[in-house]
Amino acid sequence: MTTELFFVQLINGLQYGLLLFLIASGLTLVFGVMGILNLAHGSMYMVGAYLVWYFATVTGSFTVSAVLSAIIALSLGILIERVLIQRLYNRNHLDQVLLTIGMIFVFNSLQSILFGNDPYGVAVPGALDGGIPFTDNSSYPIYRIFAALVCVAIAGVLYYVVSRTRLGMLIRAGESNREMVEALGVNIKSLYTIVFAIGVMLAAVSGIIAAPMRSIVPGMGESVLITCFVVVVIGGMGSIKGAFVGALLVGLISTFAAVLIPSMSNMIIYIFMILVLLVKPQGLFAK
Amino acid sequence: MIFEKRTERILVPMFFMVALFVPLFLESNSFFVGKVTTIIILSIFVMSLDFLVGRVGLITLGHALFYGLGGYLFVILSPEYEAVNFWVYTFYICSISALIALVTGAVVLRTTGIYFIMITLAISQMMFYYFFDSLEYGGDDGMFIFMKPETSIFGLSFLNLDDPQHFYYLALFSLFNTLVFFKVVLRSRFGRIVEATKQNPDRTEALGYNIFAFRLTCYVIGSTLGAYAGFLFALQYGFVNPSFLAWEMSGTALVMSILGGLGTIYGAILGTFTYEGLQYFFEHLTEDWLLFMGSAIILMVIVLRKGIAGYLEKLLEK
Repeated sequence: MTTELFFVQLINGLQYGLLLFLIASGLTLVFGVMGILNLAHGSMYMVGAYLVWYFATVTGSFTVSAVLSAIIALSLGILIERVLIQRLYNRNHLDQVLLTIGMIFVFNSLQSILFGNDPYGVAVPGALDGGIPFTDNSSYPIYRIFAALVCVAIAGVLYYVVSRTRLGMLIRAGESNREMVEALGVNIKSLYTIVFAIGVMLAAVSGIIAAPMRSIVPGMGESVLITCFVVVVIGGMGSIKGAFVGALLVGLISTFAAVLIPSMSNMIIYIFMILVLLVKPQGLFAK
Repeated sequence: MIFEKRTERILVPMFFMVALFVPLFLESNSFFVGKVTTIIILSIFVMSLDFLVGRVGLITLGHALFYGLGGYLFVILSPEYEAVNFWVYTFYICSISALIALVTGAVVLRTTGIYFIMITLAISQMMFYYFFDSLEYGGDDGMFIFMKPETSIFGLSFLNLDDPQHFYYLALFSLFNTLVFFKVVLRSRFGRIVEATKQNPDRTEALGYNIFAFRLTCYVIGSTLGAYAGFLFALQYGFVNPSFLAWEMSGTALVMSILGGLGTIYGAILGTFTYEGLQYFFEHLTEDWLLFMGSAIILMVIVLRKGIAGYLEKLLEK
């Protein structure tokens, strides 16, 4: 592997890892705070991608479409939490698995009804089109760097909100002792609604950011969901920091494996996860 | 009496009585006989999962690994253009699957709870991609089974696996045996200790039982029967492909067993037939059957908290 190829793969791996973090952060946040195992999280990623594609073809502007899609995703999150997820708080993980699998079916079907089964692509927004010269004869797409920066920015905001704001304080308190928070007069119901909606929006925003880089196809939610589970489990369920480290590791490992050992590239992250769990059965940053 | 609950004593004989005559009623329609055979085979798979999840407390999301192995092992082991003996190969496949379950079980059982769900998923995904990317095992197209096994014992042959009716009875017989087997296991001393390891692991351990060994044994039993179901399914359709071990397969089986009533064993039959029945119904009603299927699942989680068996037991038990 040449130095040049190495650096391109390194950036690709980091960028993929950051995107994975953005998706996985919502999954781990909802699990950590509410104890809800949301298998439909990948569907929210798909929703983001399809929405931004739809609005981009209608309005022609990526920015407008992105904002519209994020707002719709947030409302969708509130709606789902109020109508369905609320009924699951006192149930076991299996009921959650069952209900969220049902949701996957519904979302996949709606996607097929509303948008059909053809693969779509979203154009890279004009201002971010083009590449940064890397060496004399190669360049790196600007949009990929922009996407990575957005992921870093959102990670920063998430960190700030969770560790510095009043909402974050309630979230952390809700994680450790739900009854106590409730007894102190905090409306835990609305807190949960907010957390779930944020989780949904994080997944959808990842889908929006990923849309110009990847093709938008049916079933895209499930493949990303499984990868996110690997990320979250490696990092430790419920830990945002763990999700960050796990996502970067998975991003780098799978990107380099695709170049170095193509025959095992699909298997490698699962092998890695099994190895991690053998050494640390609770993940790297378990609480 | 191995069927302790009144609901079981009514439902189980009723089901097998009706099932015995299904091929006679549908003689002219071999499609339905085939379809019901598939559902019966799937019931065996779901039942083995129900044993692990509902009775042992091992929530696995990678059970499809063994379903796929059952089929793939046959294709890998048997010569391509020569009919092998069904019973001998059943023995081979079950022994090798048991061995694989023993090894993977020793690894996955180091974890518990949500991590157990995920590591079982990871191992089955790993094997899924192994077969999906493999050149020698047909990649994502899978492989065909050109010759179905013959079934003679000491020169006597009663079953012709090419005959859908014979295959139907083989599947039904297998389902009945699986049900009785699990019931006997659960009623035994071994089964009661397993129950205890689920209810109160710490106390069971304090009493001197090796929980790990009991869980591992159960994992091997459940996985082996799952592989047997996969073997039957592969024989029925004459092919294997990676979708046998996809996580959707595990997920659907889990849905079926929760739907039927987790931990009831016989509920697996109810769950599988209901799920497949609904799917068949919706598929014929509309192209967008998945929407209705998904909504039906969501509705059932909200309404039927203990599955169909739980609901029936509420009606029938005093």
